[in-house]
Amino acid sequence: MGSTETESGSEDFSEGRAIEAPRFSCALGGALGTALGIYGTVPILHSGAGCGIGQLFGQLYAGGQNAGGPQGGTSTPCSSLVEHHVVFGGEEKLKDLIKASVELMEGDLFTVITGCVPSLIGDDVSAVVRPFKEEHDIVHVKTSGFTGNSYEGYELFFEAIINDLLKPAEKIQQKTVNIFGIVPYQHVFWKGDAKVIKDLLARIGIKAQVFLTEFDGIAQLKNIPAAEYNIVLSTWNGHRVVELLKEKFGTPYLSFPSVPIGPKKTGEFLRTVAKTFNISDDIVEPLIEEEERRVYRFIEYGGDAHMLVRPHPFFAVVADSGTAIGITRFLVNELGYLPDVVQISDEPPEEVRGEITRHLTQGLETPVKPDVIFETDSHLIRQNLKNRPFLFLYASSLEAPTALEEFGACPVTVSFPTMNRLILNRTYAGFDGGLTLFEETVSTFVGPL
Amino acid sequence: MTKAKNIAIYGKGGIGKSTTTSNISAALADSGLKVIQIGCDPKSDSTNNLRGGKSIPTVLDAIRSGKKIEIADIVYEGFGGVLCIEAGGPEPGVGCAGRGIIAAIELLRQKKVFEQYDPDVVLYDVLGDVVCGGFSVPIREGVAEQVYTVTSADFMAVYAANNLFKGIKKYANSGGALFSGIIANSVALPIQREIIDDFASQTGTTIAEYVPRSVTIIRSELRGQTAVEYDPDSEQAEVYRRLAKAIVTNEKKYVPAPLEAENLKTWAESWSDRLLEKKDDESSVRTPETASPAT
Repeated sequence: MGSTETESGSEDFSEGRAIEAPRFSCALGGALGTALGIYGTVPILHSGAGCGIGQLFGQLYAGGQNAGGPQGGTSTPCSSLVEHHVVFGGEEKLKDLIKASVELMEGDLFTVITGCVPSLIGDDVSAVVRPFKEEHDIVHVKTSGFTGNSYEGYELFFEAIINDLLKPAEKIQQKTVNIFGIVPYQHVFWKGDAKVIKDLLARIGIKAQVFLTEFDGIAQLKNIPAAEYNIVLSTWNGHRVVELLKEKFGTPYLSFPSVPIGPKKTGEFLRTVAKTFNISDDIVEPLIEEEERRVYRFIEYGGDAHMLVRPHPFFAVVADSGTAIGITRFLVNELGYLPDVVQISDEPPEEVRGEITRHLTQGLETPVKPDVIFETDSHLIRQNLKNRPFLFLYASSLEAPTALEEFGACPVTVSFPTMNRLILNRTYAGFDGGLTLFEETVSTFVGPL
Repeated sequence: MTKAKNIAIYGKGGIGKSTTTSNISAALADSGLKVIQIGCDPKSDSTNNLRGGKSIPTVLDAIRSGKKIEIADIVYEGFGGVLCIEAGGPEPGVGCAGRGIIAAIELLRQKKVFEQYDPDVVLYDVLGDVVCGGFSVPIREGVAEQVYTVTSADFMAVYAANNLFKGIKKYANSGGALFSGIIANSVALPIQREIIDDFASQTGTTIAEYVPRSVTIIRSELRGQTAVEYDPDSEQAEVYRRLAKAIVTNEKKYVPAPLEAENLKTWAESWSDRLLEKKDDESSVRTPETASPAT
C-alpha cells in the first residue's frame, strides 16, 4: 500500500465554504489558554463577554474537561464590550478594567488579550497599556480573535512576551533550555507533556524552562533570554517564537517533530540533546538502557492481550501534527501496528506539510505506509474514515461515540476536542508515556468481565 | 398612517449634500408636507441651516448619556416645521462611526419616531463615501426606497458617487433602495455639466437637477438659513423648489451600472486630457497679448 498526501476538500477557500466543527478556537482562545497555562499570569480580555465564556467551553472544556482555575473561566477580567463601546470606543473601559485588575487579581504578569471588536473599531490598546508598565509587568497580546486560530494565539502570546517584556540576559546560563511547541489545551496532554520533558532533561543535567504549570512560570518567562538553547517540540508550533528569539537574543534552537513518545523516540531525543550539550555517554546511555529495560518488561505484561486478541491491527489517527507523528511512530515502530490513514487536523502551514508527511511515512518499520490527509472539517474527516480496515481510531471526542458503529474501530481520544475524558497529568510523552498509550489501547477491547 | 416617502441623499463630504438636503426639506415643508430630515454624518451639521445655524443634540449623544431617552431628546423642529434629527457619532478617531449610524437608526425605530410623527417625506442625509457597512444602512432593506447623490464635476466626488452605485447594486437584489438621480451641484461652467452628463450616461443614470453655484447660498448659510428661507424669491430657491417637487413626484428607480475601477480611471483620464487641452488653448490665446510688450 503506497502512501498519498492529500487535502480532502480543502481546495475551496471561497467565502461561503463552511467547516463542520473545526478542531481549534480563535487566536484569542489560544492566547488565553497559554496565559492560563503559565501560573502567575492574569489574562485580561478586551472583548465581548462571550469571548471569555466561549473559550471556557470551546478551549478549556474541549481540552480535556479542564476548569479555568483562579484566573480562567468566569474569573477572567473582561471589558465585556457592548454596542456603546463599539460606537464610542472601548479604551476608557479597558483603562478602568486594568486598573481594577492589577489591584484585585493576584498575579505577577498581566496580559491584555484583544478580541475582534477593539481591533475592528481601532482601539489603541497599546497606548492604554503603556502607562501601567511603570508599575506592573503587563503586555498586550494583539490577537484580534480573527487573526487566526488557537495555534496562532500561542505564537502571538510569546511574541508579545518577547517584544514587550524581555531584555537581553546579562549572562547565558549553561545547560538551561526553554521548551516551546506544546500548545496548552490544543495539545490535550500539555500538562503531563511539559512535566515529563522537564524531568527527562533534568536527568541528564539540563534545566528546562517549560513555563506551563510551573509555579515560577513568570520567573522562567523572564529568564528566556538566559537560556543556552531553545528546544521546539513541533514541526511548526513555536517555530516563530524560536526564530524571534534567535534573531533578538541569538539563542540557537533544536527542533523535534513532536513530543517523544515511547522508549525509541525518547532515547533519540535525549541522545540528540546530550550531543548538543556535550553531555557524556556515560550519563545518557545507562539511563536509556535502564528505562528501556523497565518499559519493555512492562509491555510484556500486556503482550498476551495484545498478541492473542488484536495482533498487528490497522489503525487510523485524527490529530494535530505533533500528536499524530508521536503516536503513529510509537504504534508502528514499537508495537508493530499498521498505519492505515492519518488525518492532520491542526491546519499546519503549507511549507511544513511535506515534512509532516515524511515523519509519518519514512523510517517506519513496516512496509505499510499510511495515507496522510490534511483536513479540519469534521464531516470530511468522517468521510475519509469510511470503508477502511483500521481497528483502532486515535482521534478526538467528535469521533469517539460512533467509532465502533460507523467504522468498526475502538476509539482512543488523544486530540482536540477532548470532551469525553478528564485530562490532568496524563501524557504519552517519555519512556512511560508509551506504556500509557499501550494501556489505553488494550483497555478498549479487553473484558468486560 | 400614510406611507412616507423615504429618500436617502448621499454625497462626498463637503460637496454640498447638507445644503441641498436642507433646501429640499425647506421647500417641501413650505409646500405643506411633513418632513423629517435625518443627518447621518458624524459631523452632525446636516440640519443646522434649518435651525438658525445652531446644532442639535444627536441620537448618539442621547445614547452616550445612558439616561432614558425620550423622543423630545432627539427630535427638534426647524424651519417650516421640518423635524430635525442628527444621528451623530463618536469623537473623531475613536470607536466606530458606521456602527453609530446603525445604532441611531435602530433607536429611531424602537422609539417609533416615524409612527408618532407620520411624516410625508423622510430625508436621510448620508456621508457618501460609503466607507463601511454602517454608512450603507440607509440603502438596505426597509430604510430608504430611493437614493439620490449630490456630486460636483470634481473627480473625487464622482468616485464617491460611483462607490455609492456599487453599494446600491450590491443590495438591489435583496430589497435595498434603488437609484433615482444625480443632483449636479456647483455647476458653473459648461464643461462641468458635460463631465457630470457623461458620467451619468456611462453609468446608466439620470440627472435630477443641475444646481448652479450661487452667492445666495453663501449669504443664506452665513445666516444659518436655507436659500428657501433666506430669499424665497431668489432663483436659487426656485431651483430647490423645482428639485423638491421632482423628488417627491419621481417614482422612477433603477439599478445603476457603476464603472469598474480601471474603466473609471480611463474615463477620468480622458476628461483630464480634455481639460488640459482646453487650458492650453486658453493660454495660447493669452500668450501673444502677454508677450507683446516685450517685443
